[in-house]
Amino acid sequence: MNDYLEVKNLSKSFEGFRLHDITFTLPKGYIMGLIGPNGSGKTTTIKLILNMLKRTSGEVKILGFDNIANEQEAKRNLGVVFDSNYFSDEWKISQVEKSVSAFYENWNTQKFSETLKKFHIQPSKKVKELSKGMQMKLMLACAFSYDAKLLILDEPTSGLDPVSRDELLHILSEYIEDGEHSVLFSTHLTRDLERAADYITYIRYGELFFSGGKDEFLDLFRIVKGGREELTADLSKKMLGIRNFSTGFEALVKTEDLKQYAHLNAEPATIDDIVVFTSKRGEPYE
Amino acid sequence: MNDIWRAAKLDFSLVKPYVKSICFTMVLPVVFAAVNRSLLTGISFAMCFIAMTTGYTFSVTEKNSMERLYGILPIRKSDMVIGRYIFIMIMGITALIFSLAVHPVILTILGESISAFDHISAAVIGIFLFALYTVFQLPGYYKLGSIKGRVFMYIPVAGFLITLLFLTKVPVGESRLLFTVIHSPVLLMLSTVILVIAMYAVSIRVSIQILKNKEV
Repeated sequence: MNDYLEVKNLSKSFEGFRLHDITFTLPKGYIMGLIGPNGSGKTTTIKLILNMLKRTSGEVKILGFDNIANEQEAKRNLGVVFDSNYFSDEWKISQVEKSVSAFYENWNTQKFSETLKKFHIQPSKKVKELSKGMQMKLMLACAFSYDAKLLILDEPTSGLDPVSRDELLHILSEYIEDGEHSVLFSTHLTRDLERAADYITYIRYGELFFSGGKDEFLDLFRIVKGGREELTADLSKKMLGIRNFSTGFEALVKTEDLKQYAHLNAEPATIDDIVVFTSKRGEPYE
Repeated sequence: MNDIWRAAKLDFSLVKPYVKSICFTMVLPVVFAAVNRSLLTGISFAMCFIAMTTGYTFSVTEKNSMERLYGILPIRKSDMVIGRYIFIMIMGITALIFSLAVHPVILTILGESISAFDHISAAVIGIFLFALYTVFQLPGYYKLGSIKGRVFMYIPVAGFLITLLFLTKVPVGESRLLFTVIHSPVLLMLSTVILVIAMYAVSIRVSIQILKNKEV
């Protein structure tokens, strides 16, 4: 099986929000960044994948198993890390293992102990005594102990200091090294993905904006810069987003349209640039 | 069955830090039994008190947002629900056994004589009361959470009082069936067991439906 996660035409309607027709595929051995501004539908997508929300329509396959019809099989090799811990704060780490390991036939106690050691987590501590970063590592340690093939992380870096974020990215890179594991990584801190992600799925206002290779995504856009007098009304209409300064402007444009901006300085766009400019729906950014 | 048992064990691990306070609720009714010099009163209070602690699993789950953990574990929602019912029934049975062992000793020390029939009738009523409380409580907790769901606790209490009132108005002697059941320990036990099983079957089914439709 080549694709660890298949999401097809996934939709969900709430009052005041609609996630519409989301389709993407995560192949084995890669990290995919799920990006979008707050409220765009990232967590909804993840909850639909995990069958925590009932979908309006669409299909989700985890490691080849339908996430509803074969929920148990789908979740047997799935690890999940949320933005905050989901264990009882009164549990000691040893109790976490005792409680969770029972549900996984391939739980490896030795691996759990080794991972705790590697992450500098003392088994005698209670969950509530761990820092946010350590709690995130504990969730990872559990997922690694039953050799979860697919890891889904929902905003794991929010609230983490830069050192912990860097550590997490290093852990994830190691995790997919053997080509047998994949990661879906939702975040609005897109700088984390510049380094780690191979694929990007960008959801904007509940709709799929892009899903594909990270390099392909970055190649689609450029940042152009120029003086205020160079920004004509015609040009600004074609730009995806503009940020004006007292001395000039910068704008996000499609790389295929770059010829029209030959008189301006063009630079590669970062994921942050693309998300920020496109989230403004092309309206001028003042 | 394995998954149901695992779910029950997971629930036990949730309330493990609160075992002392749960044990206290088992000890307290001894006082009521002693004051009222009645095994039935003691058992009734014991089952009522232990039923009040069934919300602990829901409270701990809510406090720690553990519905996300339950959401990612490879276990069917129906097994999760049945596991919780099993755990809560074990709590009830533990409280009943403790009370049936301790209360008669205290009452005997106080000079009361307790017959085998007293034991049986107290056990039967205890089981029935506990079932009556929990079959309403648990779907309520699943639907509304541990705080709002507590309101369901009072429905069976009210229901029990109404039943008592109703029974005093019914001339037992005129109803052959009721007379036979009440005066036969075997029939009383059998009918209670059947009623309790039926109540739990309906309650579990409702709770599973609630959980299946719940979005977290």
